[in-house]
Amino acid sequence: MHKVWAVIRREFVERVRTKWFWVSAILGPVLFAGIIVFQIAQSVGGGARHIAVVDTGKAGYGRRVVEALGASKSIRADAASPSPHVLDSLTELVEAKRINGFLIVGDSLSSDGKAEYRASNLSLQTIEELQRTLNRVVEKARLEGKGVNPTVVDWAQALRVTLEQKKCQRGACLAESAGQSFIMAYLISLLLFMAILLYGVNVMSSVLEEKRDRIVEVLISSLRPFQLMLGKVFGAGAVSFFQFLIWGVSARVLISLRGPIARALGADPSQIQDVRLPHIPFDTFVVFMACFLGGFLLYSAMFAAVGAMSSNEQEARQAQQPVTYLLMISYLSFIGLTNEPTSTFAKTLSVVPFTSPIATPVRWAGGSMGVGELIVSLGMLALAIVGVTWVAARIYRVGILMTGKRPTLKELVRWVRTA
Amino acid sequence: MSDPVVVDRVTKRFAGHTAVDTLSLSVPSGIIYGLLGPNGAGKTTTIRMIMDIYEPDEGVVRLFNDVAGGRTHSARIGYLPEERGLYPKMRVLDVLVFLAETKGVVRRAARARALEWLDRLGLADWRLRKVSDLSKGMQQKVQFISAMLHDPELVVLDEPFSALDPVNRQVLLDTVIDFRRRGKTVLFSTHIMEHAEQLCDRLCIIARGKKLIDGTLADIKRTRGGKHIVIAFDGSQGAAQQIFGDRRLVAKIHDFGQQAELELADGADAQEILRALVSSGARLSHFELASPSLHKIFVDLVGPDAATAAANPPTDRERERARA
Repeated sequence: MHKVWAVIRREFVERVRTKWFWVSAILGPVLFAGIIVFQIAQSVGGGARHIAVVDTGKAGYGRRVVEALGASKSIRADAASPSPHVLDSLTELVEAKRINGFLIVGDSLSSDGKAEYRASNLSLQTIEELQRTLNRVVEKARLEGKGVNPTVVDWAQALRVTLEQKKCQRGACLAESAGQSFIMAYLISLLLFMAILLYGVNVMSSVLEEKRDRIVEVLISSLRPFQLMLGKVFGAGAVSFFQFLIWGVSARVLISLRGPIARALGADPSQIQDVRLPHIPFDTFVVFMACFLGGFLLYSAMFAAVGAMSSNEQEARQAQQPVTYLLMISYLSFIGLTNEPTSTFAKTLSVVPFTSPIATPVRWAGGSMGVGELIVSLGMLALAIVGVTWVAARIYRVGILMTGKRPTLKELVRWVRTA
Repeated sequence: MSDPVVVDRVTKRFAGHTAVDTLSLSVPSGIIYGLLGPNGAGKTTTIRMIMDIYEPDEGVVRLFNDVAGGRTHSARIGYLPEERGLYPKMRVLDVLVFLAETKGVVRRAARARALEWLDRLGLADWRLRKVSDLSKGMQQKVQFISAMLHDPELVVLDEPFSALDPVNRQVLLDTVIDFRRRGKTVLFSTHIMEHAEQLCDRLCIIARGKKLIDGTLADIKRTRGGKHIVIAFDGSQGAAQQIFGDRRLVAKIHDFGQQAELELADGADAQEILRALVSSGARLSHFELASPSLHKIFVDLVGPDAATAAANPPTDRERERARA
């Protein structure tokens, strides 16, 4: 055990000492800080869109729209004075980036409900707000036309309904929007895919390095090949945990620092939109970690075998492709997994050990997986880890002392049988 | 106490080729033992079986009177493989500490001993440099340290002195001799006879995987050598070539130009040759009745075998094919 520990330690220390480790460790938080600053910058004045409102009629809808938009934080509207060539001159202003766009309303607005918005960039947020405002203006005009008191209309329109979204799973209903669920599923599959792939490949290149630098013979004279492989896998795994820890902690710190950052940028902290992190229940976290660990062990063993059977980087890159594709299947099918989490396809993916490390946590987080299914999935994964590690260790054992051409499949089978 | 290394009728086959053929040898404690043979004779394969890297197809290897294998006893054995290798991106000191740890030495002790050894072999200033910054010779010294660092009872050195300049070779030779002086055992392979002659207490010559001879250096010289004469000329050789060609006087000759090593024919007298040489007008600077050099014994024994065995060394792939 002391020897395996020495291998783990070396793997960890040497990897953390490299420039690349720190480049990627720092790049993560920098990216995250960038996102926060961008969000804040948007909420400060610069983010408001300046539009012109053109009224082609005489009923005064243009004025009403400008008034209604007066309270908006994200849109600043001005009435354009009517003239024969107003549309052309406004188009020029848009092109010159003096205004973001212009809205055209006419007298028929309250009868056929039609208006037009022209802009250089059609942002979803602006369109939604314009639509909401126009609806209210039309509603008010039509009610007034039928003799309803404008004060009554204002009173009626003052109330907005907020629809609270909650997701029910395994007997508990918690606040979470549809968007958040999707983001969560996406994050889970992306994180798992990246982590398993990156650190699996690390194990591979480390094995290859020892083979290429011919140090492996000395190591094998004092360690069993299996011990060496185990040390490598856990060493590279520890590095990935460390990296995640750096990212996680810095993200947490940055989120809590949003207030001061906003003040530094001259924004009102209370005005900043909340970054709603999806609520991560403890059980989801546990499933995520279990699948990460399982997937990592499974794929690292395969990558270690790939490294052992190759003689150089080029060969290894080719030989790793089948393994990478295997992992990619579940990553690419995550939309199917979130849209139809109970389909036969989704259920199959979460039982097959090579796809379950990603499919299972995505389905579990979506609430569409029972405890029974989870046990089967994790059990299969555990069995596969034992089996694959056994096979990989045998390939590893023979492969690390081999040089020359890459073995054929037939030779590999013989390695496994004779090792 | 039994011998630290006993190889008992061991055979290892690789595809269509027997690398080691029912080889037996025994390395007594506290000596320097040489495993000699031409390229491709099976030296490295034998050593790898001793080190538990290959498993023999037949026969057993016993280390310290135990069949458990080299890995089990790795704390008591130091190993310098033929294929040298270190982590090029690691610092010298870190590599040494790590390798000692894999032999079971505690970190702190490993560090202290590594510093001591680096100092002893003149590498102290390089301890914090990357291995890749070192010259080939320095790297070999570092690797040599890694074999000795955990103070083993037995060191197995595969071609330890190849590719070293004379100064560094002497440093390592001295270290090996000192190691034996402390009662430890050395097993090393070489195809350079001068090293073997300087160092070995006992030796074993193999070719094509088979043992040709083993024993103490003195015994081998006694049994293999007939009567030998070493001659050196000082200018004129007179009719020496004619005399060397006389089969009644000379059985075998190794002619090096200004020097020659003769093996006397049965019944021939050395004095007769001396007389004949002098009267033929040859000027001699040296005339010595000697036991044969190891080089001569080796060439006589291995002779034609060496050429054919070295011409077709099996590749790893071929070896592997043979495993199945």
